[in-house]
Formats: sequence, C-alpha cells, structure tokens
Amino acid sequence: MEVDRELVEAAQAGDRWALEELVRRTHRSVYTCALRLVGNPDDAADVTQDVYLRVVRKLGGFRHEASFSTWLNRVTTNVAMSTLKRRTRRFAVEGAAVPADTRDPAPEPAERAEAVALARRLERLVGELPEGQRQVLVLRDIYGQSTEEVANAMGLTPGAVKVRLFRARERLKAELEATEGGQVVALAGRRRASGRRS
Amino acid sequence: MTSCHSIRPLLPARAEELTLFEARSRAEHVAGCARCATESAAYSRLGHALAVMAHLEVDPVDGTLERVLVAIGRRRTAVTDPRVLAAAGSAGALVATVVVARAVRNRRQTRPAARHMTLPRRLRLPNLPVPAPALARAK
Repeated sequence: MEVDRELVEAAQAGDRWALEELVRRTHRSVYTCALRLVGNPDDAADVTQDVYLRVVRKLGGFRHEASFSTWLNRVTTNVAMSTLKRRTRRFAVEGAAVPADTRDPAPEPAERAEAVALARRLERLVGELPEGQRQVLVLRDIYGQSTEEVANAMGLTPGAVKVRLFRARERLKAELEATEGGQVVALAGRRRASGRRS
Repeated sequence: MTSCHSIRPLLPARAEELTLFEARSRAEHVAGCARCATESAAYSRLGHALAVMAHLEVDPVDGTLERVLVAIGRRRTAVTDPRVLAAAGSAGALVATVVVARAVRNRRQTRPAARHMTLPRRLRLPNLPVPAPALARAK
C-alpha cells in the first residue's frame, strides 16, 4: 500500500476528493489487517469503517513522522483490539478468515514467487491459530510491529508476547509441514545444500 | 557444543529477539547440526513468507467501501486542519466586526431623535398613604 504524501496533505487540508481517494487506495489493506486480527469478515468490515472514522478525526494531527501506511496500520490495530475487547466472537475463524482471493500489489520477482505462494497457503493456517497467538503473530511477523508495540496494543507483558509468538511460529511451521508433507523442510534443506555448494 | 534440547526453543526466534549469547549459541549449534539447521532454515522461510503476507490484500465483503465513504461523508463536516480552522476563525471574526460596527452606527444615527423626547428632570414619588402598623413602629 503506497500512498503519496501530497494526497495525504490534500486530505488533511479538507479536500473531499483526496480523502475519498485515500480510502479507495487503502481500504483493502485496512480490511485485510482487520480480518487477520478479528477473524471474521463482518467484524472486519465494521473495524474498517471505524478505522476511517477515526482517521477523519485524527488526520489533522498526523505529522508525517512515520509513513502514512504505518500510521494507518497502528490505527487499525488499535481499533481492532478495542473491537475485540467489546465483543465476543460471533463465529469461528475457520473458513471465514480465508480470503477468497488474495491479490499481489505488483508482479513479483522470480525469487519471491515461492515466498508469495507460501504466503497464500499460510493465510488459511494463520486464520486457524488460536486467537491470542494469531493476533501476536499478525502484528509482529506480518506487520513488523515491535514486541513492545504488540504488548501495548494487546495489554500484555513483552514476555507474554514472546511466549505466544514462539508457540504460534512452532504451531504454524508444524501445520505447514503437516499439510504439505514436509515440503517446507525439504525445500529449506535443498536451499541450504545449494548454498553450501556455492 | 550445546545440546539440541537446549537450542530447540531458540530456533523459532529472529536474531534480534535473542541475546548475544543466545544468538551465538544457536549459530554455533546450527553450524554443526544438520537437523537443527534444517529446522532453523524452515523458520527463516516461514518468517519471510509471513512478511510477504503484509503485501497481500483480501477483497473486502461487498459494500464495505461504499459504507465507509457514506460514513466519512457524514462525519466530514468537522474540519480538523488547523490552517482551515484559522482561516475560518479569521473570516468569522471579520464578519462579527462588520456586524458590530453596523449596529453601533445605526444606534448613533437613532440617538438624536431620542433627545427630542421630553423627560422630567427629577422624578418624584407620588404621596402614598403610609400603612398604620409601620407608622406605629416609627413612633
């Protein structure tokens, strides 16, 4: 999700078209992050709407110290976590969290193609993780937030975040190996072997 | 060399999540243990694929974009940009000044007419009867 600074500044100045364009360009990314955190499409749509209502209120205070997408990601995280605290989950994540269609922002280079294919398969497995582990993994490993940021967003200690994160990674790797018959390990082994030869 | 058992909990961690000692122990062990090296490489690939997921987007449920645009359209009346607020404040102050100035001018224009009215120089109270109990208390 790339957003021009000029577009953000125009939206900050009250340009209606710029704000709507900002929403059009970023809403898929916000929805995806929300879906990964809350676990079902209807709640993700509610979170997406709440995120932009908050963006309208707070956009004037955005000072471009971080990138707009980073700021938007934090807003999404906060709104999603508040929503989760307010609501009990209405239905299970299984199935619902799996995207019918994931799209790439741009054509991928050949060396990333394998990682992209793996990422597509991981989407379902991440959705099937227990809620606490899933949220920590999504924020830390997918969106690159620091352990402290994740701890603050979730109201946990950094130690608790690390424990959940390690369990989530272990479980994800085990499930990936189970579903693909050890393909990941085998590929990793081949890559390591070819690395040693070169 | 450290045992696989003690290194295994360190394998899922990223390098920056380990202490210097832990990172060194892991690196030394992985260099000499094929099984843990394979595990470690699998975790690296997993981490890379998870990072790639940040760039994959899901199509929202139907109507999400329209819902958001309607919702922010309702809320957008509140302008938050300080420059716009300052301009609006200045314009408001200018309008208020003009209105007050006109009111003062109109008042001055109507004052001479008021001077022609004949008012008594001293107002006197009429001779009202004093109630009897009050008169008794006064005596």
